[in-house]
Amino acid sequence: MSTQAPEVLSPTTGESMATVGRRNTLALWLLIVADAAGTIALLISYTYLWSLNVNGGWAPPGAKLTAVETNNDIPKHMQGSFAPEWPFWAILGIVILSTAAMWWAYRSGKAGFQTALVTGSVLSLLLMLAALIGQWVQISTFPFGPSDGAYASAVIVLCASNIFHMLIVIFLLTGMVNRSRRGLINQQNHYQAQATTYYMTWVSISVLLGALVTTFFVVSPNTDPAVFGSFKQMSSSSAEVSPAPSSSPSATPSASPSDKASGKASDKAASPSPSAS
Amino acid sequence: MTTTTPPPDAPEAPTNRPPSMHRVRDWAKRPYARSIMILTVIIGFLLLPLCWLILAAMNQSGAPASPIMEDIETTVFVFTLVSIPITAFVFAVLVYSLLGWKHVSGDEVPADESPAIRSNTIGVVLWTVVSSVLAMFLVVWGLMELASITANSYGTVSADEQPGGDQALIVNVTGQQWVWTFEYPQHGGLTSDVLYLPKDRAVYFNVTSKDVIHNFWAVELGVKIDANPGAITQTGVTPNKLGTFNVRCAELCGLHHAYMQTRIQVLEKDAFDSWARESGAGRAT
Amino acid sequence: MTTDVTASAPTGASAIVFGAEVAQPPQHGKPGGIMRHLNFGTGLLTGIVMAAVAGWVTAALTPTSASNATFAPDEPEYVYLAVLIGWVIGFMLGMGAFVGPIRWLLGRDITHADAEYMAGKDLGVRRYFKFTTDHKVVGIQYLVVVMVILGFGGILAMLIRTELGVTWAEVFSPTFYNSIIGTHGIAMIIGMIVVMSGPVGNFIVPMMIGARDMAFPRLNALSLWLLVAAVVCLVSSMFVGGIQDGWSVYYPLAAQAPPGMLGYQLTIIVFAVSTAIASVNLMTTILTMRAKGMTWSRTPILVYGTFAASLMGLYAFPFFQYSQILGLTDRIWNTVFFNPVEGGSVWLYENLFWLLGHPEVYVILIPSMAVALEIMPVFLRRPLFSFNFAVAGIVGVVALSGLVWAHHMYMTGWAPAVNYPFMLSTEMISIPVGFLVLVAIGTFWRSTVWTRLPLMAIYAVVFNKMIGGVTGVYLSDVPADQYFHGSMFVVAHFHYMLMGAGLFGAMGGIAFFFPKMTGRILDERLGSIGLWTAFAGFQITFGSMFVAGLQGQPRRVLQFDDMFNISNWISTIGAYVIGLGMLIFLAAIVHSWRSGEIASSNPWGSKSLEWQTPTPVPLENFAVLPVVTERPYNYGVPDPYEAEMDKKDGDLTTVGQVGPR
Repeated sequence: MSTQAPEVLSPTTGESMATVGRRNTLALWLLIVADAAGTIALLISYTYLWSLNVNGGWAPPGAKLTAVETNNDIPKHMQGSFAPEWPFWAILGIVILSTAAMWWAYRSGKAGFQTALVTGSVLSLLLMLAALIGQWVQISTFPFGPSDGAYASAVIVLCASNIFHMLIVIFLLTGMVNRSRRGLINQQNHYQAQATTYYMTWVSISVLLGALVTTFFVVSPNTDPAVFGSFKQMSSSSAEVSPAPSSSPSATPSASPSDKASGKASDKAASPSPSAS
Repeated sequence: MTTTTPPPDAPEAPTNRPPSMHRVRDWAKRPYARSIMILTVIIGFLLLPLCWLILAAMNQSGAPASPIMEDIETTVFVFTLVSIPITAFVFAVLVYSLLGWKHVSGDEVPADESPAIRSNTIGVVLWTVVSSVLAMFLVVWGLMELASITANSYGTVSADEQPGGDQALIVNVTGQQWVWTFEYPQHGGLTSDVLYLPKDRAVYFNVTSKDVIHNFWAVELGVKIDANPGAITQTGVTPNKLGTFNVRCAELCGLHHAYMQTRIQVLEKDAFDSWARESGAGRAT
Repeated sequence: MTTDVTASAPTGASAIVFGAEVAQPPQHGKPGGIMRHLNFGTGLLTGIVMAAVAGWVTAALTPTSASNATFAPDEPEYVYLAVLIGWVIGFMLGMGAFVGPIRWLLGRDITHADAEYMAGKDLGVRRYFKFTTDHKVVGIQYLVVVMVILGFGGILAMLIRTELGVTWAEVFSPTFYNSIIGTHGIAMIIGMIVVMSGPVGNFIVPMMIGARDMAFPRLNALSLWLLVAAVVCLVSSMFVGGIQDGWSVYYPLAAQAPPGMLGYQLTIIVFAVSTAIASVNLMTTILTMRAKGMTWSRTPILVYGTFAASLMGLYAFPFFQYSQILGLTDRIWNTVFFNPVEGGSVWLYENLFWLLGHPEVYVILIPSMAVALEIMPVFLRRPLFSFNFAVAGIVGVVALSGLVWAHHMYMTGWAPAVNYPFMLSTEMISIPVGFLVLVAIGTFWRSTVWTRLPLMAIYAVVFNKMIGGVTGVYLSDVPADQYFHGSMFVVAHFHYMLMGAGLFGAMGGIAFFFPKMTGRILDERLGSIGLWTAFAGFQITFGSMFVAGLQGQPRRVLQFDDMFNISNWISTIGAYVIGLGMLIFLAAIVHSWRSGEIASSNPWGSKSLEWQTPTPVPLENFAVLPVVTERPYNYGVPDPYEAEMDKKDGDLTTVGQVGPR
């Protein structure tokens, strides 16, 4: 090994840095698989609830006001609507710019332009900080809170997942700036910059996926959902159709559940209370 | 290790491999092969009563009271029967390996090694074919029986075109912590905490829950479906036996999950109608 | 050009690393730096202090901030959550888990001397109580942690059976009973997931493939200590109401649960991170660090098994983790993912949960089966029968494992139409599992049996696996499942799989690798008595539990009709016998570890690489990295019948070579 002069060796294991770099990149791809599975879980949650519109609870109360007649029971803070779409794409744009900057930094560093590597990393870090701030502003200006229906919950958690990704990237980029400034990342030893760009590319993709679902899957396709508590009966020619199951069953529960869920449920003024209070 | 002589039952001329059928016939003549086959048969016959014992256990609280439950029991019987040969064979090999083939004990690594059989085409192909055929049989059987019970529980037809028409009884089943409520919309919304059903008449269940997930299990009728909050699940059955049967909750639903059970009373049509009339009248006043 | 590297390191120091002279980054202070002062004690201290501070601050802040909110959870919720988060972060901080990332951030890279200190060189026993990176130390730590988890779960199991055996009275309140079934379930699942891939995956697999350590030694330590942090969260939940909703914690029941549910959620979130890290580490190690000449056909089956388990854990665990994250936001933020009243769906939770839930079964089973297949050639003194089929079986299980989750949801009414395809995929999985049975049977065929404890455990595994497999076929079938779903039959079935095949396989594996891991032989007599006592008790317990299920006893109940009494009494007696057997086995482990017979470096006469190292294994495992020249399991005498065939497929050994040359 010592005969191969340009080869950089790992200080801890004595292996070639190229080998270590390949190994790290592989591990990074595997971690991205796990991360992607998590993001897919969120996207599944979003689209699942979007397609079902359980109990008519997908849209935020404000959005429903346009379709249904006004309901005075809805509190003021819940009269929001769907979120505007452009902020999702604006944030995606900033994230993509940041990624592009890091790609440029990495390519330059690989070609031996150390200054460009440092500059690109700093630029990328600043852009990612801007994206983080943008994401934060978006979350805090949503016209709904996390409990205003399934759409509101899903969107907010998707944005929170973006914030989580951005924080990781900011950590990595801070390291990039510091390490490239010190020359620890350079023409010979650049796998960490490469790995950072790979991870940022994945983060861009995940932000893109989020933007896509929040743009194209807004109004639920299930326009006539069964409303829990007053569901339709199976039709039968001679049957007397009862509009709702009795809300006071003949038998009383053997113990009365005094729990959080039913407490929550009874707060929903718009639909008949399903809780056995 | 190379000094060990080949086992006595190996053929003399390895370079001249006989055709497959001959090999199988040769193989069957070996003493251990015969013993394993006999053992397989013995164990198989020992396991055979399980087919009926399992059904006996399932019937302990009552014989099947609907076509669905009859289908289920047939399936269980067939599956037991089909899995016995392969189970018996595996157990026979395990037993023979412990009793028949050579043993070494002690701390020393044994000097006599076993034949280095890295594969055996016939054995492998046979196993693959047999296990695949068995799996396919179980799948096909299962799909057919599933279609059958789906038809018997009226799950394939949409709400508008269900068979039975007037004859079908609708029951709205509502689970809540920790009671079942049965409502009969055709009888003026009569409710009951015991499930009264007429014999030989189609019954549709609309199942839902008021709080957490329950599971509506009418044991002897072979009906089982989750009662989900925020959704209605539908199933059905035609009881074909009179008697008292059990409803249990089969999904953990909190503190008194264990006590969330009630009775099913299957009555003759007339008896059911008079029950409905009396109870409904009682409710109306 | 090349001078740039060393220019950044002003000292220009170099060190001899495995014979090569390697430039070193500047050394800050003594080797190890701050890690010299951090250990389990400081971890505990920091964890407890941070937990207390976080809890106190939250308690002080909560009433004012939440008093006007209608949906505010009770104050204890926030306090307990803060305590848990404080504990996890504080513990990891005190252990030194953040030292590496911070040094990376600051550009103070780790030197060879640092790495050697962190690997526990010259630290003696102290290295077992630190953030030690040596894979062998981590393996031993995993073994101890796993035994603690399984012991905890086992005690809960005894309590459950006590309650069910005492049919004439309620021993425990329903609240406590529900919390022990939930905690038993999840503790055992966690324990069984790591029981093989933890100790064996960390200690043995790197040696088995001829590597000096895992690919990422610090991640290795991280995954272990995250597990410890998670387990503390789990146990703590017992004191704040417990996990009362079974291990699957279905919503909306879980939304009603006391704060103990937060302990479950935090446990899963942290454990999933630990699993992801461990999986990535193990997979990278296996993919890139196999010895020269170790082609895929020369790689031992256990390596395939741990790789498969890691792969399934890697893609499946995040679904479980996110289901718990969404559950957590439901509790703390009042999001509505699983709240059907407000637009959430209970089926969403069930889908996310079982997307992990079923692959996880194979995460447990495959390593145990692979250990069994690893043990058999050594004690039967012959090659594995049809190695290719063993690999095909594992690949088939991995491929199908992600496509079968909805068989847990046959009876939910979620989508009756998908029952057909899921029934198909579920029953298909019996074919690759059958391959593994074939390999086991084929290897027993005509073999001379060396009747030692590790092999005898495999008889138990194959026996139980058969019963578990056949009963699994019933449950995979929708019509039969319509009777068995949610009954004790299911409980008995998965205990046959996870405990009968999984745990007995793990016992065999521990007995097999014990000499390499501890330098001593596991006491054969005591160990066998323990194993067979547990085996007998196991058959009694779960055999009669099958009967209870057939009679129609629902699972997770505390009281039941009199008709189930007899089977439950028998089951409880059997459970105590299992407990006794496990205690004896534990005694065998403890006794042998302390004062057992000293083992030679290769007591079983194995030919695989891990046994070619000296015992105790030196820090770098191999002084010279080995080169593999033949297929694994080259035992046995030529079988005339097979000679020709062997020659033929011997040519195939170089096919599919991947990785470093």
